[in-house]
Amino acid sequence: MTHPKKHLTDRRSVLRGGAAALGAAALGGIASRAHAATDMRYMCWEGYDKPSILDPFEAANDANVAVDLITDSAGGFAKLAAGGYRDFDVVSSDSPWIARMGPAGICDYLDDAEFADVYDDFYPQFRAPFAPLQYEGQTTGLPTRWGWVGPTVNTNFDKVETWASYDPCFDPAYRDKICVLDWGDWPIMPMALHAGIDPYQELGDAELKEIRMVLRALFKNTRALVGDLSVAQKGLMDGSFRALIGGGSYCTSALRKDGQDHILSIVPEPKNGLKQGIIWMEATGILKDTDNPELSKKLVKHMVSPDVAVELAWTEATCNLVPSQAAEAKFTDEQKSALQMDYMWEAWEKSHFHSVAPNIDDMLAIFQEELAASN
Amino acid sequence: MRIIRKSWTDPGLLLATLPLTAIMAFFFLIPLVMTALLSFQGTQYYRLIWTWSSDTWVDVFTHWHYWSIIIRTLTMALICVVLCVLISLPVSYAMVHRVRSLENHITILIVFAFLTDAVLKTFGWVLFLDRTGVMNGALSALGFGPQATDILFTPVATMLGMVYNLLPYTIFCIYLSMKRIDRDLMLAAYDAGASRFRTFWEITLPLARPGIFAGAILVFVLALGVFLEPKVMGGGTSPMAAELIRQTFETRVNWPLGAALTLVIIVIGTATLAVAGLAAHRATKAAAESTE
Repeated sequence: MTHPKKHLTDRRSVLRGGAAALGAAALGGIASRAHAATDMRYMCWEGYDKPSILDPFEAANDANVAVDLITDSAGGFAKLAAGGYRDFDVVSSDSPWIARMGPAGICDYLDDAEFADVYDDFYPQFRAPFAPLQYEGQTTGLPTRWGWVGPTVNTNFDKVETWASYDPCFDPAYRDKICVLDWGDWPIMPMALHAGIDPYQELGDAELKEIRMVLRALFKNTRALVGDLSVAQKGLMDGSFRALIGGGSYCTSALRKDGQDHILSIVPEPKNGLKQGIIWMEATGILKDTDNPELSKKLVKHMVSPDVAVELAWTEATCNLVPSQAAEAKFTDEQKSALQMDYMWEAWEKSHFHSVAPNIDDMLAIFQEELAASN
Repeated sequence: MRIIRKSWTDPGLLLATLPLTAIMAFFFLIPLVMTALLSFQGTQYYRLIWTWSSDTWVDVFTHWHYWSIIIRTLTMALICVVLCVLISLPVSYAMVHRVRSLENHITILIVFAFLTDAVLKTFGWVLFLDRTGVMNGALSALGFGPQATDILFTPVATMLGMVYNLLPYTIFCIYLSMKRIDRDLMLAAYDAGASRFRTFWEITLPLARPGIFAGAILVFVLALGVFLEPKVMGGGTSPMAAELIRQTFETRVNWPLGAALTLVIIVIGTATLAVAGLAAHRATKAAAESTE
């Protein structure tokens, strides 16, 4: 069967056609030309585009990497799914979305054996076969950054022990003091876990109703649903928000980087046998039918190499953990403290791995409904 | 000068408007039709499935929360229109009649505020209205207590942001309308013994009506689509239509539903404007008949 994509005109094919025409014209009168760098397009989160990360790759591989920043994972996926994948070579996004891209025909599956040396540098938890990025035994992408979702608190106002559970979210004493991060399903999952429901399993009506109830209760205490990290962080610093829910270490480390050691992201203790934390992860995959398969693999390997991992962990906007064990020795003590590295495996042990929840659309719809009804 | 009224079937007129018609058809109507088509498609595994189904529309008409958000949006937009007009009337009147020497300075200030990026202004308001912000600091210094006001992340803050960002539209429309009013008419009213208020009520206000309507329509249409104010100043807990549509497209990746909700907003907005336009037309006609 002919691949339907082959019949479509896309940006790359137009560029190829244009380049061929120009090339033919050039052959007529010009004998030789300087060697042109290879153009690549990379869709990624802010931070992955740091010059200190991409410049060495471009110089080493004679490549030009054009970056398209993602503002939200679902939006990035939607853009690629709508046909945008034909225009890109490599993508870095949240792991559930990268994991979806393989079976959705957007990303190529990777051969773990080709990346064996990379996996050897990873912490054992991230080594192949790495289940969160696998679908029917095939791997889509490599992990690049990670962290955990739990309450982010300012210990100048609250003791860490207070947040050993999500109970304060529903305590009248915390009315109008809770900030919920408007980051897709991140705030929903901890609330479901608090309600005693594993959101990563297939859910029935009764469980969805329970999630509705817990979200309704959460919104009673919610002062703001914030999408912007700086607004959330400002409120946390001045005490107008006593906890950020649905953000976790992603909200924390940039403040800790600036010396605000009293800001912590923690994971509540297990409740009713259910872990209460979520491990989030970003991953990097190679888009389907890239024009530069070898260079794309090189870029993926580059992004997870120890030196680049340190750069990727330590960015202007956020600071996050990386899966590279080989990179750990390259962090300073100050960096390790900001990243809460002493706590990371405790957080890991107390958490579920964030993946594609079967009922995510139902839960997002419930979230939207309860938010609309909350005021 | 004689104004020649032309029929819409006039070939010259049709030819003159052809480029604009073509642009509108291409960049407005075709996307609108595509949006309508999209609303009858489905999604599977976060990808669009090209099929014909009315499921999305059933979803729209059977879920109250979409309508509660739309009603909230309409209410907020109407309140915003009323506030903008009420604020703009005295400001415009003062610019034309009372502080004419400062007219240009005020105009420049308003234009400057208008041209400043809305994101910047909106985040500026957050710093101003915050519990630990400038306003509470100033009120505290005046002895009103540490947190005299707490309106940030409430619908009041949303409305404040909407009025602040949209006010220039009504000010300029009404100002231009008032500036064109023949001053002799007002002087004649004063000579006939009318008070300032009666002159304003019977001369200025009716003659400024086109500007009021134009400003109100502009503000209403823009207020239907506000995104930043409810999200940033309102704290996101009272979402309005634009945020609902964003959530549906981006977070839920449900493009058919997002398209259907977009169409609902467009239809409601257009219908509201049509009704308002009809009422304005009747009011103008009635006023003209009463003066004959």
